This record gives sequence, C-alpha cells and structure tokens, in this order.
Amino acid sequence: MTQVLIAAGVLIAGAALALLLRNNVHRAWAALASQAVATVLVESVAVPTLLEGTDWRGTLRWSYPAEAIAAHLDPLSAFFLSWSLPMTLLGTLYALGYLRPYFKTRNAGPQFALLNITSLSFLLIYTIETATVFLLGWEIAAVAAWLLVIWDYPNQKIRFAGFNYLVSTHVGFFVLVAAFMLMHAHTGSMDFEAFAQFLRAPSPLRGVTFVTLVVAFGLKSAFFPFHTWLPRAHSAAPAHVSALMSGVIHKAGLFGLLRFTLLMGQPEEWMGWALIAFSAHSAVIAVAYTTAQRDLKRLLGYSSTENVGIVGMGIGLGYLGLAWHRPALVALGFTGAILHIVNHAFFKCLLFYAAGSVYRATHLIDLERLGGLARKVPWTAAFFLLGGAAISGLPPFNGFVSELLLYAGFLNGGVPAGVERIALIIAAAVLALVGGISMLAMTRAFGVTFLGAPRDASVHAEADSSKSMRAAMAVCALGVVLVGLMPAAALRVIGPAAALFTRLLPGGGDVGAANALVASTVTPVNVAAGLFLGLLGALLLVRRMLAGSQPAPRHVTWGCGYTAVSPRMQYSGTSFSLQFVGVFEAVLKLLKRVKLPQGPFPAKGSHLNTTCVDSVEQKMFESLGHSENLARRIASLVSAEPTASFAVGLLALAAIAAVALARGGLP
Amino acid sequence: MTVALYVLHLGALLLLPILVIGVINRTRAIWAGRRGPPLLQTWFDLRRLLRKQPVYSEVTTSVFRVGPLVVLASALASGAFVPMLRDFAPWPLGFDFVAVAYLWGLGRMAMMLAALDAGSSFEGMGASREATYGALVEPALFLALGTLALVTGGTSFSQLMNVGFGDPARAVIVIGCAVALLIVLQAEAARVPVDDPATHLELTMIHEVMILDHSGPELAALQYSAAMKLTVCAALVASLLNPVPAQFGAVAVAGANLALTLVVAIVVGLIEGLVARLKLSAIPQYLTVAVVAAFVALLAATWLRGGAA
Repeated sequence: MTQVLIAAGVLIAGAALALLLRNNVHRAWAALASQAVATVLVESVAVPTLLEGTDWRGTLRWSYPAEAIAAHLDPLSAFFLSWSLPMTLLGTLYALGYLRPYFKTRNAGPQFALLNITSLSFLLIYTIETATVFLLGWEIAAVAAWLLVIWDYPNQKIRFAGFNYLVSTHVGFFVLVAAFMLMHAHTGSMDFEAFAQFLRAPSPLRGVTFVTLVVAFGLKSAFFPFHTWLPRAHSAAPAHVSALMSGVIHKAGLFGLLRFTLLMGQPEEWMGWALIAFSAHSAVIAVAYTTAQRDLKRLLGYSSTENVGIVGMGIGLGYLGLAWHRPALVALGFTGAILHIVNHAFFKCLLFYAAGSVYRATHLIDLERLGGLARKVPWTAAFFLLGGAAISGLPPFNGFVSELLLYAGFLNGGVPAGVERIALIIAAAVLALVGGISMLAMTRAFGVTFLGAPRDASVHAEADSSKSMRAAMAVCALGVVLVGLMPAAALRVIGPAAALFTRLLPGGGDVGAANALVASTVTPVNVAAGLFLGLLGALLLVRRMLAGSQPAPRHVTWGCGYTAVSPRMQYSGTSFSLQFVGVFEAVLKLLKRVKLPQGPFPAKGSHLNTTCVDSVEQKMFESLGHSENLARRIASLVSAEPTASFAVGLLALAAIAAVALARGGLP
Repeated sequence: MTVALYVLHLGALLLLPILVIGVINRTRAIWAGRRGPPLLQTWFDLRRLLRKQPVYSEVTTSVFRVGPLVVLASALASGAFVPMLRDFAPWPLGFDFVAVAYLWGLGRMAMMLAALDAGSSFEGMGASREATYGALVEPALFLALGTLALVTGGTSFSQLMNVGFGDPARAVIVIGCAVALLIVLQAEAARVPVDDPATHLELTMIHEVMILDHSGPELAALQYSAAMKLTVCAALVASLLNPVPAQFGAVAVAGANLALTLVVAIVVGLIEGLVARLKLSAIPQYLTVAVVAAFVALLAATWLRGGAA
C-alpha cells in the first residue's frame, strides 16, 4: 500500500508540474512521466494481488472528519486498478497528439493535470472503504471529468453538454449519499465493513438500499434511462476524454455494484431478475439508438450504455446463481461481466481514438458528410474496423470471449426448469439481438465513414493520425487481439477477481471447479479463431496463386446502366438504418427538417435533414418545462407578502410532521 | 466407421451445396413448366468464374477484395461445428453453436462492408437490408437453439439435434424449431419469400445486389459460401426431422439425413415456385413468425421438462 500512497504523491506532483511548466510539450511530458511512474508503482502492488488473490486491509490515520480511513486491496480493486491507470496513461499519450494543434494558442496544462487527477481518483475509489473518502474520490472523478469535457468551453453547446453532465452526475452522487446515509443510520459507522454487517442480514431496508445503490451506480455507468447526459458529453468532449469517460472512468459505477455485491453476500432472487431486466432493457434500447446517430462520437456514447447493459446482464445472472446456489451460473455470469468490462475498455477506447483521428483529419464527425476515408487515413480505418468487429462480439476478437461466457450462462443446464429457464433463454435471445443490431450500427459507422467515395467534395482529409495517437490505438488494438486469441491467459488474470464471487456461495464455493468450467467454456473461441484464421490464410494464398502476373483492371463502379452517378447518391448513414429505425419507431424518433423541391423548375435550397433525438431526454425536458409552469402557477396563487409565504411554509411543515406522527412517530 | 462419417461430412459441406442449388432451381423450373438448368450448373459457374480475371472499381479498397474470402473462410470454419449428418459434427464443443452464429455474423459483416466499399447506392441498399434482417433473425435462431438445449440437455450443436418424436410435446418442439430454422434459412441464404435470387430488378434484391460489383474468383467465393450456408441450414432442418433410429447404424442415419437435406431443398424450391417474394416492409413480420415458432417450441419444451422435474 505504501506504493499506492507514493503513486498518489507522484500524481499530485505531476499535476502541479503540468500546471506550473511554461511549455505545453513539457506539461504533457510531466503528466506522462508522473503517470508512468505511478502506473508502475501501482502495478507492482496490483498485479501480485490479482494473480495470487491476496486480501490486504489497513487503516490510515487522518484527522477530522475521517479519523481512520479503511483501505482494502483485494483482487477486485486490484483488477480495476491494474487496467484503469495504464488506460489513462494511454489516453494522456493520445492527448499529446490530439491536442497538439492547440499547443501554440492554448494552455493545455489543466487538461494534463486533470488527467493526473483522474488517475488519483481511481486510487481513492478502488482502494478506500470509508464512505466519506470514497465519496470524495467519486466527486473528484466527476468534477475532473466535467472540466475535461469542457475543453472547448467558448462553444455554448459544449458548455451545455458539460453542465448537463455535471447535474446528472450530482443527482447520482446525492442518491449514493442517500444510500450511504441509510446504511450509516443503521450501523453508526462509515466503514464498508460495518455496512456489510447491515447488508448481510435480510430486511426490507436491504432491498431499498440495493435499489438506491443500483440507481446511483446506474447513473454513473449511464444505464438506460439514466443515460441522457452521456451522448451529449461524449460528443462534446475531446476524443481522449470521451474514450476515458466511456471506457474507464464510468466503469467506477460497475465497480461499485460489484463491490457492494461482495459486501452484501447472498443476494435475493428478485435482485438478480431486476438487474437482468434493467440491463437487458438498457442494452436493447441503447443499441437501437446507436443505429440512428449521425455523430460518430454520439453513436459510440450510446454504445457504452449498451455495453454496460451487457455487463449488467452478466452480473444479474451471477446474482441468480448466488440465490439458487448454482456455482456454474455464478462463475459464468461474473467472469463474463468482469471480462466484458476490460474488453469494453479496450475496444471502446480504440473506437473513440479512431473517431478522434477522423476529427483531427477532417474537422468533422458527421457521418453524412464523410466517406471514402480508408484511402486517406488507412491506419485509422484499420483500427476502427478492428474495434467495430470486436464490439459486435465477432470472433476472433475479445468481445466474443465475454459474450460466449454469458451465452453459456444463460443457456446453462443448471438453470431450474420452468419459468426461470424460459426467461433466461429469452435473455440469451435478447443478447443475440443486441449483437446483431450492434453489428448493423458498426457496419454502418465504418462503411459510411471509411468506405465508398467521399460524400462531400468540400471535406479535405489531411494526414493520418500522429505517432502518439497511433501508438495509443495500437496498444488498445493489441489488447483486443490478444484477449481474443488467448482467452485462457486473460481468464487466468481475472480469475481471482471472479473467484471472490464464487466464494460467496454457501460453504465457500469450489473455486477450482469454477475456474475449470470457465476455461473449458472458452475452448470454442480458440478452435473457431484457429480454424478461421488458418482457412483465411489458405484462401489468401490460393487467391494469390489464381491471380495473373498483371494487375487486375480498374473501372468505375457498375451503376446498373445509369451513367451520371454522383457520390451523393451513395447510401448515407440515415438511409442505411432507415428500415431498421422503422421497426423500432416506438423509441427511435427521427426529427426531420424538409424542404422538398417544388414545381417543374425547382429553385435551389431544397434540403432534407434528419437527426435522431433522444426520447428520454425529450420527455425529461418536457416534464421539466411542465413542472416549471406548475411551480409558477402555484407561486402566483401565494401572495407576494412575506408573512403569507411564511405561513404557507409553516403549514406545509406542520402537515409533514402530522403525517410522520400518524405513521407511528419519528424514528 | 467414424472415418466414413468425417468423409461424408466433408463431402456434404463442400460438394452438397452445388447439388442443393441445382435441386432448388430444377424444382422451381419444373413447377413453372420449364426444364431448367443442369443439376450441376453451379459447379460450371464456379469453374468459369475462377478462370476469369476480376475487374475492380476505382473506389474500392482491400476490404472489397478480402471481404469475400472472409465470408468463405467463416462459412468453412463453421463447418467444423454444424451437424450435417444429424448428430455428428467433426469437432463438437460446448456452446459451439454460439461460435457458429457469430462466425456467420463475421461473414455477414465482411460481405456488407465489401458491398459498401463499391460506393454504389444499389449495394448500400442491399447491405442495409441485409443488416436489418440479419439482426432480426438472430433472436429466432437463439430461441430455437436454446429450446433444443433445454430439451436435449446437450451443449454442443450436434447434441442439440437428438430430440426425437417420442411424444406430442417433442413433435411440437421439433416442428416449431424446424419452422424457425427454415425461416432462418430463407433469411440467411436469401431465398423467397425474403429475397429472390432470380429477380432481374436491382431495387428488389438483397443478396444479389450486394455482390453486383464483384467478379471473377471473389464472386465465386461469395456464391459458393451462400450456397454452403443454405445447405447447412437445410441440413439442420433435416437433422431435426430425421426419423431413422440410431440402431440402424450411423452411416444409415447420415445417408438418410443427406437424402432429407435434398428433400428440404425441394421444399424450398416448391415454396419459391408457389409464393411471391414478400413486400420489403412485410419481411420483419415474416421473421417474427420464426420467433413465434421458436417460442411455441420453447413453451412446449418447458412443459415437457416441467413434467419430468
């Protein structure tokens, strides 16, 4: 733990240096160097803890208001630490290239300092088990993310997106505080260990606490319908910030859920069902939204909500396994969920970095105006394609491994026959639907952006991404490929973290058997990947042998006899998903601005503009408007005289007191 | 004995597709009062295409050239897991059917991207339709496979096929799943009523319009893998319906299954002869029929298992 403390010191020093140095490049290197040192220090503790499955607890002496701060380093915290810090380091490396065009005109110091502070918040959230300090880490992460988002603050839209995020994240914060207060009221302590005493005993309040925690963590991880801040924030933020928020920072919500699962011990069955229903709902609706977005980063933002939904389905399955005492479901559910968390970090960061490279090259992120970029920015295109295939769960990449574990859980023979079995088979079908729709969304995003001919002649693609951006993408891509090709190694690493949940089973569970089950479940991954790659290699060889010596002739694309084709006639993002959106029209609302050409000689200026609006957000703003009107109407009833207002307030208080007394007195 | 099964499976995977397409086309032709092309016409077509030099569009990238090979490689790789001779697959593994579904998904994505690479509105149109119907057909496939896993207690694709017709509940399950898989076949392999491979109008096509710009060996790879997927789906339906008891010997079961696969091909051909292609907007509803059929099978399976447990 000493190393973690030193790492925290190094991060703060790095942040200070990034603010104090005079040159933007030096600021970036100060952040990079300090984060690298901190990462090495933290890994030196986290990796042994994770691989050996050790459990360490300690207390830090501090002063008011937290005299003794409980620190806890178990494989779960080690797992989250072990990839969060390196991913933030990669984000900082990417930022070095991404922000370089601004280096001459703007002070990038605060950005780099805030990236250090984000790493620092991970140290607090993942290791501290005293509620007040945990909340401090939570708040630091939220405020740092907000400040990172509004890098381009002169733009009003971006300030609004940032403010929207700030409000949402604090609503979540208050709900979390409420949950902690509830537990504090029953235990008189702020330590998670004391909370555990309360959470382990079945009581109606335990259920209430669980629901409150799920809402708070759901807001942090942007589950539907708590996601409204996310697409805006992700599209407004610089690419490295979107990547880190989506892939790393907001995984803290899932960490919270997993941590409190460990504290809670045996969950009840309804909690598992509630989680599965909530998460499946989140995954389906969010993935439907990904198909209709024009903004590449907004699309990826919705896809985050989809992926936390998939993780939540896995956690819910694990809950059911714990409630039914089925070790297979516990192992498959939690291992699948934990693996999907880190997989998502790899491919989502990769995709956001590639989207950022597109923005750097073209200054655009609107699908409808891009096209044919693969020839201009081949590296970026290759990385995006890799990330898109992985996020759709296709073999031989990492997404397939975690999804296979979840399928093996949902279709497992260990599920009690009856309604339970039907419900879980339906959950598997829902997962399949999500995979299919995700493939549609990614095919559309990649195909429309990178393939075909450029749609807009006024868009000029400059050079491909810089070396530092490419390096960050390459590391993420390596993770995507390695986990996909060597799932056994990945499972060995996360095994001890997943084993914590197996041990919650009565009698401590059989960790060895659980590991063996999970390892045998992923064999199809290796066989499918090996066969596919071998056959593809063989086919490529055959193809080369068939090809003659002279290069194949080139010609224009066949236009089915029509010769005056223009690139504007290509299928655009909207037209690609139009039919699908029609199927889901209940949730997907397309906002159209149309001016059709009229008369035999139409004047110029006719246009059709479609955007997909978030119906939850729309409803929210509508009801906010309604409540404002309502409040105004009520206010107009009360006279402006101060005494009258006081009287009304007093009456309201008296009414509340009367209700409380009638219910059996105040506690 | 086992070696014979491996050889039969490989033969069924690699050669049967040619015959299956021939049988479907011949059935259609006879139904329409024509003689139809030779049964091995696909073979001649593929051989001709392999000898041709391809022409590439100027806007295409390597996605266009590698895509068809990815499609073929994924179809071939899935051949290791799919039971084409009722309950035999060369490499049965737990939950390999998930791998098959996702390998096919990989192939579909590669084909759609190769289509979008040509930068033509027609090909984008085909890819868009394929993506939509592909996404909608997935739940039906997984409901059907989940049902079969529930009834048989098996986890590998080949174990799923041992349902049998022991009692009325099993008959409902087999028929429900067979209907679901037949509709999956029509969607995956682009047959009537979802898509018409013989149409002459690009605006109404799905699969054929996606491969408009492909030529030579790439076109051969795409045609061959489409035929392979069709045959595998037909073999799955045949495996479910295969009534030959296991004591007749594995080879007899396998032979009957191959014959039944051709019968399924005739049924597919008959449907094509009798039914017109659906309006595009009605296809999602048609795919819902598959989901409902699989769901009925699931309910029957629960009833059956509930009685046992």
